[in-house]
Amino acid sequence: MSDKTAAVPTDSVTPGPERLALQKRVDLSVASPSYLMWLKFRRHRLAVASAVVVIMLYVIAAFAEFIAPHDPEKQNALNAYQSPTQIHFFDNSGQFHLRPFVFGTTSVRNPDTFELEFADDTTVRHPIRLLVRGDPYKMWGVFQSDIHLFGVADPDAKFFLLGSDKQGRDLFSRIVYGTRISMSIGLVGVLLSFVIGIIIGGISGYFGGVVDIVLQRVIEFVRSMPTIPLWLGLAAALPSDWSIMQIYFSITIILSLIGWTGLAQVVRGRALALREEDFIMAARLSGTSQTRIILRHMVPSFMSHIIAALTLAVPEMIIAETALSFLGLGLRFPAISWGVLLQEAQNLRSVALAPWLLAPGGMVVISVLALNFFGDGLRDAADPYRN
Amino acid sequence: MTDTGPTAIKTTVPRRILDVRGLSKHFPVTVGILRREVAKIRAVDDVTFHVHAGETLGLVGESGCGKTTTGRCLLRALDPTAGEIIFDPGDVEPVDVAALKGKALKVLRQDMQMVFQDPFSSLNPRWTLLDLVGEPLVAYGVSRGKALETRVAELLRSVGLRPEYMRRYPHAFSGGERQRIGIARALALNPKLVVADEPVSALDVSVRAQTLNLLADLQEELSLTYIFISHDLSVVQHICDRVVVMYSGRVVEVADTDDLFSAPLHPYTEALLSAVPKPNPDAAKNRIVLKGEIADPANAPSGCAFHPRCTYAKDICRQQAPPLTTMESGREVRCHLAAELTLAGVN
Repeated sequence: MSDKTAAVPTDSVTPGPERLALQKRVDLSVASPSYLMWLKFRRHRLAVASAVVVIMLYVIAAFAEFIAPHDPEKQNALNAYQSPTQIHFFDNSGQFHLRPFVFGTTSVRNPDTFELEFADDTTVRHPIRLLVRGDPYKMWGVFQSDIHLFGVADPDAKFFLLGSDKQGRDLFSRIVYGTRISMSIGLVGVLLSFVIGIIIGGISGYFGGVVDIVLQRVIEFVRSMPTIPLWLGLAAALPSDWSIMQIYFSITIILSLIGWTGLAQVVRGRALALREEDFIMAARLSGTSQTRIILRHMVPSFMSHIIAALTLAVPEMIIAETALSFLGLGLRFPAISWGVLLQEAQNLRSVALAPWLLAPGGMVVISVLALNFFGDGLRDAADPYRN
Repeated sequence: MTDTGPTAIKTTVPRRILDVRGLSKHFPVTVGILRREVAKIRAVDDVTFHVHAGETLGLVGESGCGKTTTGRCLLRALDPTAGEIIFDPGDVEPVDVAALKGKALKVLRQDMQMVFQDPFSSLNPRWTLLDLVGEPLVAYGVSRGKALETRVAELLRSVGLRPEYMRRYPHAFSGGERQRIGIARALALNPKLVVADEPVSALDVSVRAQTLNLLADLQEELSLTYIFISHDLSVVQHICDRVVVMYSGRVVEVADTDDLFSAPLHPYTEALLSAVPKPNPDAAKNRIVLKGEIADPANAPSGCAFHPRCTYAKDICRQQAPPLTTMESGREVRCHLAAELTLAGVN
């Protein structure tokens, strides 16, 4: 028998992994599914770059207090509507400084309008340093500290990377804090819809028959409802005296009430496809128990697809939250999210006077694009065995 | 073992390891939310045959004739609508597979296993060979850890794969090798009966012969009984001792392979045989080309299901369904005209 073995070519592999093998000379015959997925994901350059952006956004969200150079609530009427502070490398004598710095400012009252106007005071340099002491904060509400990732040492220097708003609060710091709520509301909302979606989709796909037909019609009904008016109605019903946390969780629930349908359909589709796979029947005939079949065969084969679908669902949630908050029906002051920040850019006057107030919109675009590309890459890599 | 096996079976009265009586599997056709049943697909209808211990029984027919469904019913991968499947493994009391439930069914599956048609979808791509081949051993608590590895290595060797490959994943193997993995898995629990559902039809011609020889070697070595489902008559002629021909969910002819190929009794068998490619180009002229579609199992024709396509059909064929009758020679055939017709075989 063992003589026969030599005659059989053993290095012939299916086309998918073979092409991967050519790119990277590794022993793919023992490569685990997750390694194959990684190889396939890595070929999607845009997705890899997006993954880096997504990770950065979540790092920012996690360490918002440390990364923001200012306290986002610190008001100062004198600093209202400051345009973004310019960062310089050359001082007024044209000398180059390796450490970037900002100039000091002088305020001048305009004799015609009696408004305060600011001008750079080029004689004063405030170098930007890493790990400077600034506004005190409580990291995650626990650790007291006043060390910020970067900033200027002089507390009176004006250092507004993305300008300031009407109350003179630093927009950059507010966007950093907003990242926390905006990025996490997508995650929490998606997790909630994931639970609903996997249960309902699983029931639909597993039992089939009448149950499946009824659940599919329910999903189609939910999907046919116009989302914005529905959200508006639900959000308007929230009591106005609720705390930020209560509002936050209510909003995630409202968002997931619609969001689960797409996930339920993905789960159902995978369950139906898996039911037809011969290896499931082979496992049944091998005496493998139902629980083991579900846990060891079915869940690993559709987990990667679910994760990809989840990733693609996060940006929808982010956009939905932004839209709701922008309309004033989602999160409200004093919560900070990108939608809440954009609300301040609602009137024409502030947009004309302070166009930097639209910056949170840029963050929405970046995060949604990054999550979408990242999700696309994951979806393509979810099944490394097919080409 | 090797020199007593086949000859001993031929001379003594062979034990029937499997006796299938009146096996039926109907699938309801439903419409609407209320799932009102509007028709039945008689995928398998009143199928009766038996399998002798140690032989290879061929189950042949066009696609859609119910041969795969029959095979799956035998293993209870599908629950039959009616009929008995008496399994007599020899060392214990015979059981009716069709009536088994739960635990008893699990016990039975140690003795009956299946080799699948598609070597790609029948192996979970996320499992290593050790997991795949060892799956039945783990499920039945036969062995684990080091003992499991030893047994899997032994199984891999017996199907001609190197035991060192057990940490590899199926994607590293060709179709033929994957089919060997499937065979190793089927043999893990030392079954007595193996249902092979078109085990070579997805393989290249060059690998087919290898796989068939492997199956034949294993049969001799482990005294296995095979039910070999196929639509490829040249393969059937090569490997099977007896053949059951199915048409539209029913058995139309049962005979020893040699008899069937030299002198078919059913016009459908004759047509099938004429479709076997022959090396002699002149012989191709005799090919019978069947007209029309295979009978719809949801809406079978009156009388004999084959009559719309049969060149010999008479009025009686259109009106009465023929029973499966045993001829004087001991062969079984489902045709009104079996005694009158002289049909052409091959060779």
